[in-house]
Amino acid sequence: MSNKPYRVPTAGTGGTVGRVIDRSQMIDFQWNGRKYAGYEGDTLASALFANGIRVVGRSFKYHRPRGVLGFGSNEPNALVGVGSGNRQEPNLRATQVELHAGLTASAQNAWPSVEFDVGQVNSLASRLFPSGFYYKTFMWPQSFWKSVYEPIIRRAAGLGVAPEGPDPDTYEQFNCHCDVLVVGGGAAGLAAAEAASANGARVIIADENPQFGGISDIAGGTIGGEAQSKWIAATAASLAKSGNVHVMNRTTVVGHYHHNYVMMFERVAEHDPNLLSSGAPRHRLWKVRAKQVIIASGAIERPIPFANNDRPGVMLSTSVRAHLARYGVTPGYRGVVFTNNDDAYRTATDLLAAGVPVGRIIDVRAEPSGPLIEAAKSAGIEISAGSAICGLNAKSGGKHITSVKMAPYSTSGRVSGAEEEIACDFVAVSGGWNPVVHLHCHNGGKLDFDQKLQSFVPKPHADPVVTIGAANGTFGLGDLMTEAYAAGDKAGKAATGSKAAKAAAPKAASETEGNLEAIWFAPATGKYNEGNKHFIDYQNDVTAADLELAQREGYESVEHTKRYTTLGMATDQGKTSNIIGLGVLSGSTGKPIPEIGTTTFRPPYTPFSFGSIAGTQVGKLFHVVRRTALFDWHAEAGATWEPIGDWRRAYCYPKGEEDKHAAINREILTVRNKVGLLDASTLGKIEIKGPDAGALLDRVYTNKFSTLKPGRGRYGLMMNEMGFLFDDGVTVCLGENHYLMHTTSGGAERIVEWLEEWLQTEWTDMKVFVTAVTEQWSQYGVAGPKARALLEKLEGDVDFGADALSFMGMTEGTLAGTRVRVFRISFSGELSYEIAVPSHNGRAFWEKLLEAGEEFGVEPYGTEALHVLRAEKGFIAIGDETDGTVTPLDLGLNWAVSKKKADYLGKRALDLPHLAAENRKELVGLLTEDPNEVLPDGAYAVSEVSEKLPMDMIGQVTSTYWSPTLNRSIAMALVKQGRAKMGQKITFPVADGKVVRAEIVDPVFYDKEGERQNV
Amino acid sequence: MLVITCPVCGVEGEEADFHCGGEGHIARPATENPDGISDDAQRDYMFMRKNPKGVHFERWRCDRGCGKWFHACRDTVSMQIFGYYGITQRPPAALLKKADPLWQAHFEAAKKPSAKKAKS
Amino acid sequence: MSEALIITPLYDREAPGGLAIIMTEVVDLGMIDLRGLPKDKKFMDAAKAALGIALPTAPRTSAGMGDIVCLWMSPDQWLITCPRKAVGGLLAKLNASLEGIFSLAVDMSDARTIIRLEGDRVRETLMKGSSIDFTQSGYEAGTVRRMLFGEIAAMVHVVSEKPDVFHLMVFRSYAHHAWDWIEATAMKGSEVEFLSSAEAPPVV
Repeated sequence: MSNKPYRVPTAGTGGTVGRVIDRSQMIDFQWNGRKYAGYEGDTLASALFANGIRVVGRSFKYHRPRGVLGFGSNEPNALVGVGSGNRQEPNLRATQVELHAGLTASAQNAWPSVEFDVGQVNSLASRLFPSGFYYKTFMWPQSFWKSVYEPIIRRAAGLGVAPEGPDPDTYEQFNCHCDVLVVGGGAAGLAAAEAASANGARVIIADENPQFGGISDIAGGTIGGEAQSKWIAATAASLAKSGNVHVMNRTTVVGHYHHNYVMMFERVAEHDPNLLSSGAPRHRLWKVRAKQVIIASGAIERPIPFANNDRPGVMLSTSVRAHLARYGVTPGYRGVVFTNNDDAYRTATDLLAAGVPVGRIIDVRAEPSGPLIEAAKSAGIEISAGSAICGLNAKSGGKHITSVKMAPYSTSGRVSGAEEEIACDFVAVSGGWNPVVHLHCHNGGKLDFDQKLQSFVPKPHADPVVTIGAANGTFGLGDLMTEAYAAGDKAGKAATGSKAAKAAAPKAASETEGNLEAIWFAPATGKYNEGNKHFIDYQNDVTAADLELAQREGYESVEHTKRYTTLGMATDQGKTSNIIGLGVLSGSTGKPIPEIGTTTFRPPYTPFSFGSIAGTQVGKLFHVVRRTALFDWHAEAGATWEPIGDWRRAYCYPKGEEDKHAAINREILTVRNKVGLLDASTLGKIEIKGPDAGALLDRVYTNKFSTLKPGRGRYGLMMNEMGFLFDDGVTVCLGENHYLMHTTSGGAERIVEWLEEWLQTEWTDMKVFVTAVTEQWSQYGVAGPKARALLEKLEGDVDFGADALSFMGMTEGTLAGTRVRVFRISFSGELSYEIAVPSHNGRAFWEKLLEAGEEFGVEPYGTEALHVLRAEKGFIAIGDETDGTVTPLDLGLNWAVSKKKADYLGKRALDLPHLAAENRKELVGLLTEDPNEVLPDGAYAVSEVSEKLPMDMIGQVTSTYWSPTLNRSIAMALVKQGRAKMGQKITFPVADGKVVRAEIVDPVFYDKEGERQNV
Repeated sequence: MLVITCPVCGVEGEEADFHCGGEGHIARPATENPDGISDDAQRDYMFMRKNPKGVHFERWRCDRGCGKWFHACRDTVSMQIFGYYGITQRPPAALLKKADPLWQAHFEAAKKPSAKKAKS
Repeated sequence: MSEALIITPLYDREAPGGLAIIMTEVVDLGMIDLRGLPKDKKFMDAAKAALGIALPTAPRTSAGMGDIVCLWMSPDQWLITCPRKAVGGLLAKLNASLEGIFSLAVDMSDARTIIRLEGDRVRETLMKGSSIDFTQSGYEAGTVRRMLFGEIAAMVHVVSEKPDVFHLMVFRSYAHHAWDWIEATAMKGSEVEFLSSAEAPPVV
């Protein structure tokens, strides 16, 4: 089938046709795998028209052939996939895709091809797809869900194709502040920006199109006595040059949030492969804080639904006019204009002037009059007033319009009487204008119904946001310019405090236009359900009949009707359909539109790329990774990693063919029998100093610290005010009123903030300073029977003698040429030290430890060995034995919970009935009946195993490991009244019907007397 | 996303640069007198909050800036912020007047003779 | 005391070609974190005696020229930078001078690293990772600002203007993340020239 081109020759139009294309620059592109050519400046939509292609997609539900309806971002039909492979991007609007060399694009939702689509049988079976189809159909039986319904829905749902691999392009975000943000670069936006800028304000003006000017090129009217477009070009240029106005094209303001937080989506290089390859990001997401926001987002034309109004070739009137004026294309050779207002007459006269015949202007109004009507008449265009389209004939499976049927229209909404058939191959339709109130509404802006416009306009906003121009329902150019200048000046002054004289608005005027007549739907004559569909929401295939059905079925609230019918829920968010839908509902319920109300407008205004949302945070920047000074050493040693918070810690160090389990067992036995090294640098370290430092510690720890002598340390527990344990660690006394607190790795930041919070907000009289020093020091555990021998080999002034540095002692000195802090503390139960060195020496010192320990068989050990070692000793770990609901008493740590201290955090809560209750879960050890069986982590113990669920759960496993030291499995668990159940066996139903039995024992499995650490 | 101004260091920043510490002016009973706190009083301290719809007094911290805590007066519906004051201070009279009656009752109950004087 | 080799967190990183700004790690500066009460005259005097300059008390400012610079961090906290070699001596001097005065001074030379950024597009590069608008007034030379940058805690010190030189300070463990972030956002071709005079946009 050959497609005839629809490019209008320039000759004889006086340059009014095809203004933005460069006919000397041919560009090759691909559509559905075939090569075509267009011009520089074309959109994909206009280039397809130029090549005679009108069918650009298939509809979502019925798979009907669809063509372009609108222009710019309001297009509901022409969603296309652009690019290929890992650059494939689905669901772009063909009316926004700019043609560039090498562009490849294809139609969506069509199989095997857009010309012949198997899914079109849906259309024949359309009576099976009423509103609420999914709710009505996929209800029962439940067993059908997984096997039958879900696969069907999955195959049918979703638009477009996802890219095949990681996106090769870059994206980024940019944050900035401005005094005045102007949304929209039409006449109103530019005027407001100019007036704001005259006050010295920092202004951003953003327009989503490649060109500024809105619809100034096709709207008629004059500014300063000349064509609008002249003033537009001069003003845009002077603002760009000014240095205090950031002028952005291809930038859609997608969302407005609290306190004038505005999100803008800039298509930086999408349209230009050269820009992309020179390092520009494909898209950039702007996060703007504006003191004042001026919304000049214009208005969107709405169609008038009539029978089969979705046929390719039915277009919005302004879309026809804009395509002609900008790209010199038309959707066909002979048009008909269907309208309820004066503006569409401009389309008719423009078409005729460009040599495209207009078969008729069909106007629903009984007596249209005014200069635009006169102009059309004098151009010789036939006008049928008081009429409406009542049918449409097409051939080639609906892809080619041949004529429309017209009949008299009465204000009651009926179309009846003598029918007339008018030959045409396209229809330009206009049903009035809907101000773009989306941004105004994103953040709670309310609306008023404007009777004259038959649409909603913004009410004053609580934030410093104002809407002007067509978006505010102001259409006459003179009024619009006055309003825009005043708003710009006011915003500029409010943001800057400027007292500059107000810039004078240039004189502007446009033709007088008569009122429109409300019409929401021109029904087909005869039985309009018979094969005739009146589409309201093109993208989701919602018809007038669907809305009426929903209303008959009792869906009264517009929010419910929306969800039931999916009206306005497609990617275009109902830009062309919402108000019409309300109008149809108004007709069928008899309620006026304002009583029906609108649905919620949510960001984004138009869809934007995931790439821009991710911005820089992809690949290695996807998530923050914190490195200790030994990060590279661990990597070189072949460590496997464990993420702890944002840290990467070495989990274990497999050697050769060793698997993780073998490596962990070897590391544990090395510590038990020889000596091991641990990178413990991630432990939180906080210096605490001041006259009340000891008193502060007494209040945040459950035990007493103010009695600690310099050079000594103590293990402490921290509770929150609910009595729950949330951190632990050893705090040492460095000197008088000077302490160093160790926290868990995960608690490092939290605890310093915790201390600050209490000091600043509650104990404001306390004289204490706290400073986090975590990263200043790299800290290494040296643990095992040979630890002392190893350290004594290093040159320095530290005495490691058992008496000089006894258990829980600390000292400072020099070791291997480095300033060190030495702590004799143990989390493994072995003779153990932790050595802190300034981090710049971390790696060098670690390597000296390894060197010195070589003769003792020293090896590094990772976090898993650390955990097994502590579990063998029954030491708790925050986050394993605690989960935010566990008290120190639950864990049997009564020895560390002071009864004498008058007050410390959480103390009072421990006496509350629910915490003092007898049936609390208590920490116990577990030995499985089968010593080779390692309980799953988190396994639940039940009082009785039964078929019937739920079983009575009496506890859960908190730590569970294979202990190479004991050559059997060990576990710890929190069990209801566990300490009273010593020696009893409890059962754990685990996966696949298996039951594991274990004996409740003391949680200290190894060296109960603690002799090994005290040598 | 709110814009918040730290009254301590003067930084005006995004909500993400701050940390909301929930309702302000919750007295910790144990600080004054650790003995004789009833279970009910302890429960109220731990869990009971005013949670008004409207003007509210909250604690915020200049999380990514100077690290100091302060009070903010915020409308929980419109998100408007009416003012800030020190972490150890009571709300200024003008802000208290805007606030939910729950708050006026709170300070009425806690009013001390010195506070009375300051009110004029 | 002989100190071993100094390994800064970014010792093995070099800025790639094609950056729109100059980026280097500062390796020869040390840092001391000092806390004290500005209303405590004894503290302020003792600090001045040790440092040779008065601690700045205006928020987000810095004081000092030459070797010792004091950066305001909080009403009761300052970060003092000085040559790395001089940290030990200066800290000892401070501690001696502050003896008996409510205060806390700690060596933080290894806790953070400083990334030096230079060029006309430094401000806009930082604006890709932080919600702060550095093109606004209030970010003149000497200004200090703590912030969230690229999801991490950071601090900037505007060292000089024309050309802009900024010190970006981040905790040691985040150094690679910050460096990677700047590499990713400072590439030539991706510059944003915010509010600069520009060519006229196309119009319809």
